[in-house]
Amino acid sequence: MMKKMQRDAVLLSLIKEMKANGSWCGETHIQKAAYFLQELLDVPMSFDFILYKHGPYSFDLSDEVTAMRADSLIVYKTRLPYGPSLFPTKEGQEFLDRYPKTLSRYYDQIQFIAEKIGNMGVADLERLATALYVALNENLPGKSREIRITELKPHIKIDEANEAVKSIDAMRKESREKGLVNIL
Amino acid sequence: MVQIWRRMKINSDDVAKLAVGPKHYKESRFDDWEAILTEIIVGDAFGVDRMDYLLRDSHHIGVAYGRFDQYRLIDTLRILPKVDRVSEDEPGSQEPALGIEEGGLHSAEALLLARYFMFSQVYCHHVRRIYDIHLKDFLKSWLPESMFSTSIKGLMRITDNEVASELSKAAEEKEHPGHDPARRIAQREHFRLLYQRTREDLEINREAGKAVFEAACREFGESEVRHDTYTQKGSGLNFPVLARDGRIFSSLSKSETLEKVPLVAIDYVYISPKFRKRAEIWRDRNLTDIITQKVGEEE
Repeated sequence: MMKKMQRDAVLLSLIKEMKANGSWCGETHIQKAAYFLQELLDVPMSFDFILYKHGPYSFDLSDEVTAMRADSLIVYKTRLPYGPSLFPTKEGQEFLDRYPKTLSRYYDQIQFIAEKIGNMGVADLERLATALYVALNENLPGKSREIRITELKPHIKIDEANEAVKSIDAMRKESREKGLVNIL
Repeated sequence: MVQIWRRMKINSDDVAKLAVGPKHYKESRFDDWEAILTEIIVGDAFGVDRMDYLLRDSHHIGVAYGRFDQYRLIDTLRILPKVDRVSEDEPGSQEPALGIEEGGLHSAEALLLARYFMFSQVYCHHVRRIYDIHLKDFLKSWLPESMFSTSIKGLMRITDNEVASELSKAAEEKEHPGHDPARRIAQREHFRLLYQRTREDLEINREAGKAVFEAACREFGESEVRHDTYTQKGSGLNFPVLARDGRIFSSLSKSETLEKVPLVAIDYVYISPKFRKRAEIWRDRNLTDIITQKVGEEE
């Protein structure tokens, strides 16, 4: 398990790489990216995720983002009429520079997630993250994952759920082939 | 009561679920309506629990900065889709959130500023915080198995009256297991603030308080030093706002005030009064060295 400061370094690096890959980096984007990093690639951040608004959500992570804002590592910036976006600060970069070993250890995992989901919007992320949640926690015998997704999130259409299941299976396969899973 | 609740179709599990919220009630999932109801009760931005304690505490303490126009605020609350899309083409999520009409935005600003002022000047005041620590030390030393009972009868047996009475007794009796913390509370012999993290220290070390605490423990002994940290949970600043023309915006893009509300974070180290003078000299001589992180300390 990572220490709190190491975990913040990983989160900050994730925000930075998501930005570099075109993400808006609102809180929902960070929630989903951290969920993939932890649950798809086993990066041991120890956030407790539940199925809530917009799919898997962690209150611990939300508090951690607030703590990082309180410590000036990240700031919110807004652009009308859209939601706020998180940016690393100069202090955040200086903080990152103190954790070279931690960042190097999880570099490939962070890059993989940022490249795969960096350009996705909230609705896409919600579907994809819910599909991963179902695959890991709710794969009920005799019921397809697509059906289960639409039961959990009634506003997701069956063909969208089907597409999300295919995408998540492809991501899981690729991450295993690249040796990105189970790295402690 | 059970019969009345049954007639009203109130189920105790539902009450517990909504009162505690999804952060702590993990036994079952929250549908959209339950999520909204729980936001109304314990939500970060507009939870009635928060509105109530800010107003009540500011009234009883006699300070004005916890007040805001709760009537206007409640009148303008609306259920709206959260603003999280980044372009006109993107649909965004369709799940609802608790938001506000544009006309209530100033009341919402007043609530969130009231929260900031109450936390920074009352709840997180360093003397109030050390009394919490002494009270916790006293309760741990006095209560069976160092905790309050989780049975209803056991819990009801120990009210504030019993605690105050036992604390007063313990402050007098040297043999009482809770004598030391009780005496500190009763005779204002509380530990004194030795170190408070500053913005400059934060840039050197995010865990500066922990570093000072550990060094002070080595120098003066663990029983003579206390460490206290608190960082605001959630911020509640980002919620949807229904503009007069029917469009929906993020509160942070509609209000420059909300964008600038600071977050509350404290990091205090306290020292026993008997070491205060010596500890202050020690702190002034060693602080920079103590909080400077060494190379290779990340793991």
